[in-house]
Amino acid sequence: MFKKPRYIFRYNKNPKSLITSFQCLTTAALPTERIDSFRCVINNPLEQNEGHIGQFYRVPEDVVSKLFSQGGLPKSFRIQTKTFAETCLMIRKPSIDIINCIKNLDFSKPVPRFVLYGQKGVGKSLSLAHIVHYGYEAGFLLVHIPWLGEWMRRPKDSSPSETKEGYTNINLDIASWLVHFKNQNSLLLEKANLKTTQTYKWTKREETVANSNLMDLVDHGINRIKFASDCVLALLNEIKQLSKSGKCKTLVAIDGFNAFFYPETRIRTEKKEIVHPHNVSVTEGFLSLTRFDWKNAVAVLIVDELAIAEKDQTSYFPRYLLGKDGFEHLDPFIPVLVNGYSNKEFLSCMNYYRERRWVQPLPGLDDELSVISSSNPYKLMQLCAPL
Amino acid sequence: MASLKRIFFGKHSFINQRNSIYSLIQQNGMSQYPSYYIQPVYRKEAQEELEKSGEIMKITHVPTRAALNDQTSSVYQDELVNLFINYVMRDGLKTLARGLVEKSFENIKRIQLEKYHKAKTEAEKQAIEINPKNIFHQAVNNCKPLLYLTPIKRGGVKYQVPVPIPDKRSQFLSMKWLIEAAREKERTVHFPEKLAYELIDAASNTGKVVKRKLDLHKQCEANRAYAHYRWS
Amino acid sequence: MALNLMKNSIKMNTFSKLQVRSSSGSSEPQFRVLNLKVTKSKPAPRRQPKKFDTAPPRAHQMPTDQNWGNVWPGPRSFHPATVPLPVRQGYGEKQAPPSKYANAELMKIPNFLHLTPPVIKRQCDALRKFCTPWPKELSTDENCEKHFPLETTTSSYCYSSPSIRNSLARIVTLRIKLSHLPLDQHAKDKFRRLVGDRYDENTDYVTIVADRCPTSKQNFDYCMYLLTAVFHESWNVEPWESKKTLEDMEYYDWTKNQSCKSLESMFEVPFDKIEHGKEFSEAVSNLMNNGENLQTLKTYGDTVRKLLGLSKEI
Repeated sequence: MFKKPRYIFRYNKNPKSLITSFQCLTTAALPTERIDSFRCVINNPLEQNEGHIGQFYRVPEDVVSKLFSQGGLPKSFRIQTKTFAETCLMIRKPSIDIINCIKNLDFSKPVPRFVLYGQKGVGKSLSLAHIVHYGYEAGFLLVHIPWLGEWMRRPKDSSPSETKEGYTNINLDIASWLVHFKNQNSLLLEKANLKTTQTYKWTKREETVANSNLMDLVDHGINRIKFASDCVLALLNEIKQLSKSGKCKTLVAIDGFNAFFYPETRIRTEKKEIVHPHNVSVTEGFLSLTRFDWKNAVAVLIVDELAIAEKDQTSYFPRYLLGKDGFEHLDPFIPVLVNGYSNKEFLSCMNYYRERRWVQPLPGLDDELSVISSSNPYKLMQLCAPL
Repeated sequence: MASLKRIFFGKHSFINQRNSIYSLIQQNGMSQYPSYYIQPVYRKEAQEELEKSGEIMKITHVPTRAALNDQTSSVYQDELVNLFINYVMRDGLKTLARGLVEKSFENIKRIQLEKYHKAKTEAEKQAIEINPKNIFHQAVNNCKPLLYLTPIKRGGVKYQVPVPIPDKRSQFLSMKWLIEAAREKERTVHFPEKLAYELIDAASNTGKVVKRKLDLHKQCEANRAYAHYRWS
Repeated sequence: MALNLMKNSIKMNTFSKLQVRSSSGSSEPQFRVLNLKVTKSKPAPRRQPKKFDTAPPRAHQMPTDQNWGNVWPGPRSFHPATVPLPVRQGYGEKQAPPSKYANAELMKIPNFLHLTPPVIKRQCDALRKFCTPWPKELSTDENCEKHFPLETTTSSYCYSSPSIRNSLARIVTLRIKLSHLPLDQHAKDKFRRLVGDRYDENTDYVTIVADRCPTSKQNFDYCMYLLTAVFHESWNVEPWESKKTLEDMEYYDWTKNQSCKSLESMFEVPFDKIEHGKEFSEAVSNLMNNGENLQTLKTYGDTVRKLLGLSKEI
């Protein structure tokens, strides 16, 4: 029926397609760095600097499962990583900026608070993920809330607190956060040998004695979900004390921090009254970690429109999102703007998509997409999906 | 960016002598445009062609209709996909229809990329088609029937007569079958997901729709004794 | 002779008619018309309008070097024969605008033909002997404003209609710069609240307009009364004003706010001894008072970095 092709190699008139086919053939054989300028050679955030801005670096799979298995990467991005068969983060200016500051930080001084802000879909959470990765590599104790909106806007349960009058617990969420905390810090907690300073009495029989391992406290919260909130409060208190005494360095990273100051949560009491975030029992603990009155720590927070009700999503600036109380709580903080892609970042992103075969090469595509997406990373991702 | 300059070509309307009485009645039906308005040329390549051939000068000052909503000069615009979106659409919900088709393209890409990353050798990888548009075109092509049955009444009995099918009709049937196959699903499965699988199957010449086409062909083959009823 | 001839001819005419009738056999008698209305012999001629002898327009005889001030000494509505100008006014379809003769449009609009430059000059010359020279001390606008900060505006035009009273003449506008009034921080704030939108922030002027009384004198007195009353009232401090909290403040005062306190507790020294403390306070006040935008947030961030000794933004 069919003739066999007579020539295995045919002369190709189009030099471009020749090159691409060559690239495809060689990606497996050669280290990728040599071909792609959009890939960063250095995958360790400790060694990255301004020169690498706009490049992608690969986060090792074991680190991803350790740091972000319970959240921390937005869902749409997680789907992408699954499709791409790797987790690559772009090294961007805000995260490098903050990492630079942390590197040159005098830890004996009060805690600096960085506040990432920017429009929706601009890459705040991924910048934070980069910083969390840095914190992990640099040996920080991580106190990372992947998305505070989930606690305040979509709580799994709520129950009145037994230890504090008038407060509400969201124990299921808190227990899963404790798992997250344990995952992230298991290595460090084993190594650093951190001990509690106080005895915590839970019931007549159960107690966590002073000078026991910090992990015991976490495990207690996970096993006895009823005490999860109280455990977290104790844990955060211990972390603060330990950092103050210089036994560990702490990185506080909270996504959607402004939800702590937005009065309309969706948590209800038994009488169906709306609970103010300050009446959620764990709020106090996390707020105390974002004050400046301790040391050996850094706080990186995100204020996001998505953490508040839709009707109030009118501005993305921190003063508006935090409100008066929130601003006074954080002041003086360092606002860090996260912008859409610059030209270089955009090109590198498109090259990365092409290399991952996510976007088919088409002349004139980049120009059109950059205009339509207005260089917003999330919009770009959505626009590229059907291409 | 694609230049927004629109260049147009003339549509020549011929009015028969016989039909001259009808020429008094407005020819454009319910259209808001008078009949002498010409269709817009919205593709950049077509515009450049006009510019090269000099045709452009003829129509520079001819009044032109505004481009329709889905007529864009975007580089990734595809006529067939647009048509498909229109077939998917119900109740004029075009945004929804477009979203569904786009989502299914995304799903195709994800499924194919998963295969791509699973493939071990380079040759296997090269064999996998990832471009969803190519897959779509391939699928539509593969599902096009060559013959179809039309009922013809002879002696008080209706016979299913096999008849060669016009290209446009066969394209329509192929797309219709694809959509029907994708709608035939459990409630928990989403349309784009199912459509993606159907398209991938059809592109590789397997699956429900291709089977339906073959069934039709078989039926035609079985009824070929009636074929002469077509003209006698 | 001629009359006779005419009579004869009429007779002949009737005779011939009769003959025609008899010849036709007199079967058809002539239809007689009933003439009820006696028609007049002749309509009365229309009376011709009487034409007067008018002199040709005066303008034709005017010499080119005449003294126009004498021709047109005072305000007067337009007269085509007196004005030697080919003026046209109005609109005509497919024709030029109507000429000055019998043109009501020209008479309707006010004219200033009595105020030609030579006439004004002559009048000024005549008035000069009654005037005193302008004081040298008030040679510049700044000096005027310094010595006479209060400015009143009235209009004293008369009407040329039967009543010469201009109803707008009663309105008095009083204007003064707020900085000319001796007010302290509190009094200034209260003054501004009392006068409301009569104060213009851009020019620093307070403008009071009075038009309720029938004469301008009364209105002027009322303006002065208002200014005096507001001035003294703004110096009054009510007992409840001491209870003003931060929420009631109309602007952001950094020293009274939490921001200052937290900065002091952070550095454990008073804020004026903190390095970059002043910069910081300005940045926060700017952020709060001017609203947040990319610029104010950037300056805020930069000063905080300096304050905390962090590395600069890349």
